[in-house]
Amino acid sequence: MAVSSARIGPVLARPRLRELFDHERVLGPAFVSPALLLIGLLVAYPFGMALYLALSDAYIGRPSQFVGLRNFVTLWDSDAFRQTFQNAFVFTGTAVTLKLVLGLALALLLNEQLWCKRLIRGAVLLPWVIPTALSTLGWWWMFNSLYSVVNWTGIHLGLLEPPGPNWLGQRHYAMAAVITVNVWRGLPFFAITLLAGLVSIPRELYEAAEADGAGPVARFRYVTLPLLKPVLAIVVLFSTIFTFSDFNIVYVLTHGGPINSTHLFATLARQVGLESGQLGQGAAISLYLFPVLVFVVWAQLRFVRRQVY
Amino acid sequence: MESPTRRQFLATTASGLAGILASRTPPAVAQPREISYLCWNNFAPASDRKLAEIGQRFTRDTGIRIRIDHIAHTQQAAKYASEVQSQAGHDLVEMRMHFPWLYEPQLVDVSDLVAELEKKYGKPISSAVETAYVRGVWRAVPQYHAQFVCAYREDLFRRAGLKIPDTWEELYTVGKELKKLGHPVGIPISQNYDSISTAGPVLWSFGGMEVDRDGKTVRINSPATEQMLEWYRKMFRDCMEPEVLSWTDASNNDALNAGKASWIHNPVSAYIVARNRRLPVADVINHHRSLAGPHGRHETDVPRHIAIWKFSKNIEPAKEWIRYLLGRREVYDEYIMSGDAFNLPAYTGLQDHPVLRTDPKFAALRAEGVQFHAYGWPAPPSDKVQRITNEFILPNMIAKAVTGTPVKEAMAWAEREMKRILSG
Repeated sequence: MAVSSARIGPVLARPRLRELFDHERVLGPAFVSPALLLIGLLVAYPFGMALYLALSDAYIGRPSQFVGLRNFVTLWDSDAFRQTFQNAFVFTGTAVTLKLVLGLALALLLNEQLWCKRLIRGAVLLPWVIPTALSTLGWWWMFNSLYSVVNWTGIHLGLLEPPGPNWLGQRHYAMAAVITVNVWRGLPFFAITLLAGLVSIPRELYEAAEADGAGPVARFRYVTLPLLKPVLAIVVLFSTIFTFSDFNIVYVLTHGGPINSTHLFATLARQVGLESGQLGQGAAISLYLFPVLVFVVWAQLRFVRRQVY
Repeated sequence: MESPTRRQFLATTASGLAGILASRTPPAVAQPREISYLCWNNFAPASDRKLAEIGQRFTRDTGIRIRIDHIAHTQQAAKYASEVQSQAGHDLVEMRMHFPWLYEPQLVDVSDLVAELEKKYGKPISSAVETAYVRGVWRAVPQYHAQFVCAYREDLFRRAGLKIPDTWEELYTVGKELKKLGHPVGIPISQNYDSISTAGPVLWSFGGMEVDRDGKTVRINSPATEQMLEWYRKMFRDCMEPEVLSWTDASNNDALNAGKASWIHNPVSAYIVARNRRLPVADVINHHRSLAGPHGRHETDVPRHIAIWKFSKNIEPAKEWIRYLLGRREVYDEYIMSGDAFNLPAYTGLQDHPVLRTDPKFAALRAEGVQFHAYGWPAPPSDKVQRITNEFILPNMIAKAVTGTPVKEAMAWAEREMKRILSG
């Protein structure tokens, strides 16, 4: 008997399972659960872990205790952290503004009928496609004090006095260098996304505006810009988050120097959390701007929703 | 025998796997005698090749397989942190300087191995004791050390009729002339470790220190530090170029080998690279003994050790590897010889090693009368002293002083930062 029931069991079970999947209430969660599991494992768990570490005095390989917000308060005593806080806003503010202005200009240009349009559009994406660490290494060679091709060219063209600017050794030049590389890398993202927005604007609107006597500036101001606003808001939102949390460029180019003047939250968190072993403080540094960024996301998404609906 | 049904097969394998996972012990048939060893990319690459060769012989002689992985030294801290946090990774790891203090609770007591080596080679050198002997227990086995000396361009000194300096003050005198020749001195003042490796010896030679012997009292705000900062200011102004503010650990070597710098403070790696790549500059580079100040001749060295993680499941085979590599005199000698005097023996009985006689330009490495210390000396090494190093307080204080911040203000800044770290 046992043998026969064991053989019959699966045969009966199969249709039952199939019937079960006919219900949306079962099928829906079944489809979503792998994605939820992945998000849980790869996003929620590390994030929860980071929150816990930030609220503890965790030190590599040692038992830790809950210390509340102490890490967030004591960080203000550190000169390097205060400097980093300032750097993050200067870096992000300048880089995002430049990327927005230049990206919009580039998108408008790419939207015109250009010779070899596809090739140029493909080429524009290159900085975005190359691994950041690799391209930044190229920039490092260009800014390197011994081999700088930027200085060499400037000096040979008579534009610079030898030995030329000390790109990575002087605080303002170093900040300019990391911003330059960030803008160079982030520009394609702006340009291509805005281009997609531009392409979707109906031609008739421009024709109607033109018939009403609107010039190029007026067309841009009253047709392009308002219709591009939702895309602009999303691009700026994404870029702000990515730029705030940038790591590769600073790590490869300046390592946070000179005198911490280019450290960002991610690079300082690495220095404190991993190199010095203070996981708690490191996590607190990387989460410091989390509330601010949550607010930015909320405000921008609200703005976008209002624009769209 | 009736062949198992698919259902039976699945049930058996699943329960077996669950049992293995629950007990966290692989079945006896799956327990390999295999160990893994993570070490840095040695600046003397030939020694990494030799290590691989010794690893193969070790497997042949003992039946224990070994996998040797390499990682850039700047990535070590992050990699070790992740291995410790996940309690998984390599069995053996190479440890630089104070790392054994940082990872102390995670490291196996290897005092038995060090005792065996001591009997053969004499006591470990002082910097190895300072950094790997943690609160009365050896947490890592001293392996070798790299030693800072002064590398200079013989031809330029000859052309300008300059005497080889013996003190930091004399370096200033010759440095002025060398800069006029278009070949500045190259001492990094940036957020890298070479900057600390020079700043420490200069500070000690002027009689200064960062933190006192008690490990608690900050002593950076002192007349000795003031003298040291004044020396750096005039060196920066008259003997060097502002590029040193942006340098990485490799930049001083590059500047010397590219034919630009005339004098650098570094282990012999610049010369080794120049010689092995047959760069023209190799013929005119030589080394001289470390420089002295009013309070003696102090120098940095970089001791490196081998440690075993406590989470390793192969502690005994891992110890076998250390015994094989360091405990067999012929193997240890072979390994040291492959490092071109960049890796020097870490035991007092081996200081007059044949590797020093492989090239007349290594003579300065004998370093008579030089006192070697690890970063942070004379404070006992601790995680907090390590943090003063990792936050680059010393080079940043100097960078501030040479770029316009008044000396007293720069010292007060460093004092505040060090006190904050020690009280944290």
